[in-house]
Amino acid sequence: MSLSPLAIVLLAVTLLLGVGFYGLLVARNLIKLIVVLQILAKAAMLAFVAAGYGQEHMGLAQSMVAMVIVADTVVAVIALALAVQVRRHYGTLDVRKLTTLRG
Amino acid sequence: MAAPFITLTIGLPWLGALAVWIAGDQHPKAQHALAVLFAVAGGLSGLALLTTTGAEVAIRLPVGGAFGDFTFVADGLGVFLAVIATVIGSLAVIFSVEYMKGEAQLGRYYAFVLLFIGAMAGLALTGSLLLLFFFWEVTALTSYALISFHNDDPKAVAGGIKALLMTQLGGVGLLAGALLIYAHLGSYDISAFLAGADALPPDLRALIAFGFLAAAAAKSAQAPFHTWLPDAMEAPTPVSALIHAATMVNAGVYLLARFFPAFESVPGWSTAVVIIGMVTALLAAVMALVADDLKRVLAYSTVSQLGYMVFAIGCGSVLAGQFHLFSHAVFKALLFLGAGAVIHAIGTRDMHQMGGLGKHMPLVRGVFVIGAGALAGIPILNGFWSKELILETGLAHGPLWGYIGMLIGAGLTALYTARMVWLVFYGEPRSHHHAHDARPAMAIPLVLLAVGTLTTWLLFGPFGALLAEAVPGLHEESTLDFVTKVVSDPATLLALGVVAIGLLAWQQRSRLSPIAAGLRALEQAAKQGFGFEAINRFVARMTRSAATVLQRTQTGELNWNAAGIAGALLIVLIILAGGGTR
Repeated sequence: MSLSPLAIVLLAVTLLLGVGFYGLLVARNLIKLIVVLQILAKAAMLAFVAAGYGQEHMGLAQSMVAMVIVADTVVAVIALALAVQVRRHYGTLDVRKLTTLRG
Repeated sequence: MAAPFITLTIGLPWLGALAVWIAGDQHPKAQHALAVLFAVAGGLSGLALLTTTGAEVAIRLPVGGAFGDFTFVADGLGVFLAVIATVIGSLAVIFSVEYMKGEAQLGRYYAFVLLFIGAMAGLALTGSLLLLFFFWEVTALTSYALISFHNDDPKAVAGGIKALLMTQLGGVGLLAGALLIYAHLGSYDISAFLAGADALPPDLRALIAFGFLAAAAAKSAQAPFHTWLPDAMEAPTPVSALIHAATMVNAGVYLLARFFPAFESVPGWSTAVVIIGMVTALLAAVMALVADDLKRVLAYSTVSQLGYMVFAIGCGSVLAGQFHLFSHAVFKALLFLGAGAVIHAIGTRDMHQMGGLGKHMPLVRGVFVIGAGALAGIPILNGFWSKELILETGLAHGPLWGYIGMLIGAGLTALYTARMVWLVFYGEPRSHHHAHDARPAMAIPLVLLAVGTLTTWLLFGPFGALLAEAVPGLHEESTLDFVTKVVSDPATLLALGVVAIGLLAWQQRSRLSPIAAGLRALEQAAKQGFGFEAINRFVARMTRSAATVLQRTQTGELNWNAAGIAGALLIVLIILAGGGTR
């Protein structure tokens, strides 16, 4: 059985999504969560490229992904900066101990 | 060409709101002047609109996509409401110059009042359901902001939130109706809906009709949604006159009148409208009879008179409903502004602390009595003619029980009006006040409105012609024919007799006190708002306890939130995999 290139890419997307969601569910360290979120975003980007390939709108997909990369980088930078501040302020990166926002 | 005037009527008040805000609270004189300038200019352009009415689309802004075209139509029904909003709006703004003198944060006050006037004109003039909903919500929002204007007073804040919640609840009906119409006709155009309503499936049309009825009842403070209006009386009095008597509460009646041709044939709809109108008119009249707060009496009487308009539309006469709306907007604005002058002079709203004020404020007493006469339905004042028209419509086209109910309502109206006027202006003073009469900024709107109360019924002929082009099948006639018809109709005598009984009942109140004592239970029930307030409190309590229970789901832990997202995604995927319903 041979898979089409598109199917292989989509399989990779699913795999990345699975890893990302699993990480979101179990990760307790803030840095790990940020890494996991990045993995999820990469899955979305890959899905975009695959969709562009399938629909033969590669240019559109590439420009979208380029935009997402920029936004995603900004998110990562700010999140990491916040993580540094959180560590300094509370002395921990464990999200279960950081539930002071609880309503 | 109506387009420039439509733009000006909506745009000038909104520009004024911006200008007052920019002028800043450090310059109250400039704020007063700018507000009056823009409000009066808006009123004049509203009046100019009267010369250019027509049923065709005057402004079409293609927005594209699901929004369709944003259209504005200057037809008789809409222009009439826009004129009421802008003209009475400008009078209320002039009145505010004196009433709000020395208040802090005038910018917020005037900006919201002007924003409201523009939105109300827009609501009346738009031809797109989506824009109608947008303006509808803007009026609700400004109403909330102005009721809660004194935001350090918990009662004002609570009243504002109550008004906002209840009108929003009804607004959902309007939105749902508009979306259903779009889903089936592919357009938000009101005239397209009116033309194509008969082609819609009957149960869908019934759904839309009752959705709109809920929206109208909430906005026009009809039972069971009427409880927000009396609590809205925490607003500054010119706001009560403008928003909660003359304009915004009429939006519901306008909605019913506008869509009446489409919903007329929906089974049960007309009867439901008649019942809502009659029950509201009666309940509110009884509550007005026992209220002690001057503004609450006026608020209940507004609810009651709105019930008359809704009743008229239910009986199939848009003309009678709109004509009473016209009269009521004028005389109730007069009554509220007169009450504002009294409250401003003595600083209390409790009628038991008033009394004998007529000696100190002859002008206010004079105009207030004129307005009260119109409310009670005393001949040749505008309220008399429009109320007669409604009663005659009820007799001719409505159910007999409806007519009898409204007749009793007319008697109660005369009774509570007499009580109110007596407690405020006549008898012995019950406390020491140094009341002063209205100063020019207050006197001008009062006198203008009093003149209007005496004369607007003369406009019956032109008014009918104005509406006839907007409402299909409307039976118009000249003022003279109308007057002859009313005067020669025996039903008029009956109605007058009932009004006279109401007035006499107040005059002979000491002899009637045994009867009143027998009705103590009714009085207590009326003071409790006939249980509607208890329903409100119950709903509020349920919401709060539900929130407490649901709070536990907010763990604040990221892992659980992520699990929630994943779970929801799974559910969506299962639904999608289960196959769409189409």
